[in-house]
Amino acid sequence: MAAPLTDNQDAGVVGFWPWFYQRISGVLLIFLLAVHIWMGHFSGLRAVIDGRQEELVLYSIVQQRLAQGVFIFVDFSLLGLVLYHGLNGMRNIFLEWPPVASRAKAMTLGLWILGGVTFAYGAWALLAFIL
Amino acid sequence: MALSFKTLSLHGGASLDRNAGTRAGWWAWFLQRLTGVALVGYLFLHILVISTVQAGEDAFDSVLIVLQKPFFVVLDLFLIAAVVYHALNGVRVLLFDLGIGLKQQAGLFWVCMVLTTILTLVAGYFSLPLIFRN
Repeated sequence: MAAPLTDNQDAGVVGFWPWFYQRISGVLLIFLLAVHIWMGHFSGLRAVIDGRQEELVLYSIVQQRLAQGVFIFVDFSLLGLVLYHGLNGMRNIFLEWPPVASRAKAMTLGLWILGGVTFAYGAWALLAFIL
Repeated sequence: MALSFKTLSLHGGASLDRNAGTRAGWWAWFLQRLTGVALVGYLFLHILVISTVQAGEDAFDSVLIVLQKPFFVVLDLFLIAAVVYHALNGVRVLLFDLGIGLKQQAGLFWVCMVLTTILTLVAGYFSLPLIFRN
């Protein structure tokens, strides 16, 4: 027997691949966000408390971090995956709303455009720390 | 058949039979949506804040200094709670997809709630010096 589908919609409504990628991106985000939140909010905590560092996050700190290739990879992966996961989640919700669900293709296209533009905008912002 | 009805009822919303297990399932589903939509809203704000760097290093720092004031550190704790719950309940749903834990779904919801509370309190504890600094 196939594994049961337990999301608010089954894969038949949202499509198998969006359903599948939602789970893959979700699992990857758990690991990437753990790194992101740790680096952003906790790794510099002792230095801030001791007064060796003014704030947890400042331009110079982010720039130093993004001088390491691994964090460039983490941040760009986060940007893409979180946009996919978030906007695909919104798509799942919209598909339950009949006025929008009846125009599902246009709605999906709109979300892809929004995601693409936001990715480009976020990448442009990140590049200011790298270039 | 019993299994498929059970799986559907986990996320079926308010109209379905509300025994204790289904009620936990409804709350799990509702909180997943609530945190999901809130996190999408936060994501766009987060990208917007980071993009202030394009106005220069000082512009970025002046915004970030404000966003690290105690009020925003407290708001960050709500953000952490939302992320942790969404991630844990996401794993819960993923386990159901693999056919694991369906019978324990209500208990697993409470595991998510307890772990979210503990992790948020731990983050809060470590954030106390930032909340009460001058």
